[in-house]
Amino acid sequence: MANMQVVGLTTPQEVYVASRDRKFRINELLVIEDPYQGNLIGEVVESNSYNRFIPLSIGNGIHDADVIESLKHLGYSINEDEINIAKVKLISEANFPVVTGCKARLPIFDEVRSHLLKGAREDGLLIGEIKNTEETAETMEEDLRGLCEMFSNGKVYKTRNVPFFLDLRSFQQYPHIGVFGGSGSGKSFGLRVIMEEVMKHRFPALILDPHYEMEFSESQENGLEKRDFKDVFKKFQIGEDIGVEFLNLSRGDLMALLSAVSPLTEAMSSAVQELHLRGDTYLSFSNRLELLGEALEMGRSRIEQALKQDMEPMEQEKYIKMRQLFEKYQNTPLPSVQGIIWRLRRLYSSGLFSHDIKPVKETMMQGKLAVIQGPIWLLQVFSTYLLSNIYHQRRDYKDGELKGQPSGEYFPPFIIATDEAHNFAPKGKDTATKGIITEIAQEGRKYGVFLILATQRPTLLDETVTAQLNTKIIFRTVRASDIGTISEETDIKVEEARRLPYLPSGDAFVSSPLFGRTVAIRVRFPHTRSPHTQNPLDEIKFYRETSEDNLFDAIKPHLPIYAANFAKAVEEINAAAGANYEVRTLKAALDELVAKGKLKKQASPLGDIFIEP
Amino acid sequence: MLEVNADLKKKFEETASAMRLRLEKRPSPSSLRSIIAEKGLGNFVMCERLGQKELSGITQKGGIVGVDGSTNSAGGPFPYLFTLQQALAKLCISGENDLLVTDAFSPLITEDVANEEEYQEFVKHNLAQLEAKAALLALEKFKPAVILLDGSLVRYKIEAGALWNKLKEEAISQKVLLAGVVEGISTGIISQCLKDALDMDGFPASDWEILFGLLQVGEALEIMPGLFKEGFRTLFMRSSLDPKPIGIDLLEEQQEAIGLVPNLVFTLTPKESRGIPLWLDIIDKSVRISDAVMEGLLHTYLGEDYVEFIKPKREKREM
Repeated sequence: MANMQVVGLTTPQEVYVASRDRKFRINELLVIEDPYQGNLIGEVVESNSYNRFIPLSIGNGIHDADVIESLKHLGYSINEDEINIAKVKLISEANFPVVTGCKARLPIFDEVRSHLLKGAREDGLLIGEIKNTEETAETMEEDLRGLCEMFSNGKVYKTRNVPFFLDLRSFQQYPHIGVFGGSGSGKSFGLRVIMEEVMKHRFPALILDPHYEMEFSESQENGLEKRDFKDVFKKFQIGEDIGVEFLNLSRGDLMALLSAVSPLTEAMSSAVQELHLRGDTYLSFSNRLELLGEALEMGRSRIEQALKQDMEPMEQEKYIKMRQLFEKYQNTPLPSVQGIIWRLRRLYSSGLFSHDIKPVKETMMQGKLAVIQGPIWLLQVFSTYLLSNIYHQRRDYKDGELKGQPSGEYFPPFIIATDEAHNFAPKGKDTATKGIITEIAQEGRKYGVFLILATQRPTLLDETVTAQLNTKIIFRTVRASDIGTISEETDIKVEEARRLPYLPSGDAFVSSPLFGRTVAIRVRFPHTRSPHTQNPLDEIKFYRETSEDNLFDAIKPHLPIYAANFAKAVEEINAAAGANYEVRTLKAALDELVAKGKLKKQASPLGDIFIEP
Repeated sequence: MLEVNADLKKKFEETASAMRLRLEKRPSPSSLRSIIAEKGLGNFVMCERLGQKELSGITQKGGIVGVDGSTNSAGGPFPYLFTLQQALAKLCISGENDLLVTDAFSPLITEDVANEEEYQEFVKHNLAQLEAKAALLALEKFKPAVILLDGSLVRYKIEAGALWNKLKEEAISQKVLLAGVVEGISTGIISQCLKDALDMDGFPASDWEILFGLLQVGEALEIMPGLFKEGFRTLFMRSSLDPKPIGIDLLEEQQEAIGLVPNLVFTLTPKESRGIPLWLDIIDKSVRISDAVMEGLLHTYLGEDYVEFIKPKREKREM
């Protein structure tokens, strides 16, 4: 085993450890054998190597590579005189400063088990591996080894480190998770892995997916172990598969929906208050609005006039209705009515009112993951309704149970996850969703409703919500303001905050009250892949090649094509291939095929002839 | 800023101009070169860097050992002194152990030392003996091809007579090349030989003074046998960009190596350095006894109270 020793000035919190033959890695744990205080556990927070023969200053010539090379031929390698020094922070403060000169060594797994593993393995979400724990992992029991696959440098391999679990049981105590990281930091992968784990445990969950990327049916091509989630998740498009039942909308819900399209003025709000009646369907409500709009536009006298004329009974009924509405709501300003109509139509045309949320609830009841997809504005509109609905159902059930008088239908505990969380609960701005998310953040714990909020801009996330995120998984972050927010909101150390801009994709720090310190992890390789992984460059290439092949197949029966006879060839090809060529574009396409060597062009007295090569 | 006293300034100026005058009298490099050649003082030769093959050859023959020593004294005024010395012989081939010879003493327990000068002399001799001992041990243990010693070989002959003789005999019989690498040349042989040809009065010019800037990088001046240091061959060499030359001593019995050793030294010296082979610098750094170590030892073994007792007032100066 490598020889390590405490050197220099020590404090009860921090020591330096030096070794000649082993380099230290950041975040690895060391046992410091203090002769008086017993074994102390510390974590490497800074690692340096120093060669006393290669000083920093360039001026004194020791950097002559030729000489160093010559010495190598004489059998001496200058690198061997390196000294490695680690700054080690003790995980729990010692009673007095550590004895300088005492030995340090790598721990065996049992000595640090409580610092690395929390909770029972069966109840854990297997997020990835704890970085730089290979040596310690060698002394770990067999069934903890090689639990997940890792991906780095283009290769997939079984982990050799200690696995990292998030204990599901601990959610009751520390319910909410924040996932932070810039684009390309591995945040989306991280979220995917968390959702896969949630599915493995069949914990009811729903995820709002503005990027249409939360698809779990395609396995990773190069994964070692194939795993299928087809049966445990269901994808819903708002307006296509799910929506809101207008009849069940409370006035408050309706106003929230309308204002999510575009904020309501005060006049509009009071108009909705007046015009929306209990038991309204979309049809009855929108008819009332349309008629009132028309009536306000016409004015009392023109309605009266119209009624005096001879007309179909249907028509007459309409004018009578208009008159009634006019009498009742004549003080409502026309622009407000029109504004409401416009918002309502937009909601309607998205398909929102043609469906309900039953399929989502069913999916969750079955312990599956419901993936809710839609453009971000619609997602905001819809999730406001959806989240309030299911959260309140769960709350009512649980409150009833606590009072000893069960009321309402059973609804299980569940997890709500979303990417771009700063859109749903932004700082300093009001959005439809913010209310419900804040409510869940503050009291969801009581009811077993947990949040997983991912965002690349933690600074833009509402502070009340951020403060409630107990566990934070932090990927590479470059923006100084975001690093500032993260440093404030977590127990991340200065040294770690400094490393944030340089974290490789997929590496993260986990700050959790459960561990009492920041743990450096690498997220495991997901079992499934996002549908967006095709590179746009490949997409273009693929499209071009297939369209060329298609063209070639279409013209093949018409070869040879004579320039003099182009017009006819165009007609035939368009008819056969369902294409839309003109003489000019077909000629250009044929020349392209010639350039690719798929066709041959031959000059003739009658102009060019295109033939098979 | 401190005002410099006007009188002091004037006196300093006079001294400085005297020194400039002396330095300006140096003959030009080209005329010096021809004088040296005419007088048959020595030959100018260009050294070559050794290639990988030659270096590997040396390694196969046992490699290179470097030897250096270090002295540090601490404590109070004479005789309340502690002196710690160590000499290190280090073989270039990795994995071999270093040979370290150490000694510690104080005037209080050293016989035949009556005063401070004698003590200084004793310390000097003892260090040379330690180094010779380390070299001898290395010779027996490693049987290297070359032993590079830090400093002139003559020094060992004078200061470590018996051990030196043994080392020399062993080296000759075992065909181990001994070479001394001199950083600070203090001889004045050239000017002595060229006395009538040089127009320099007062003090005789030092050899380094004459050779400063005279040699090309990689060029050496082999002094003719017999002119210099009895029993040795000497050459001066500019082994790096630094214009101040170094000296190399060889045994007269091993003068056939007068080609190889300078080439080796040249190869192992970084171009931008002050001219000493890197290997000797590495050993120098490894063997050096720092003040911190001395202080630590004193405090541990003598005790805080006695350290305080013998500490000179001067060290308590705060300004």
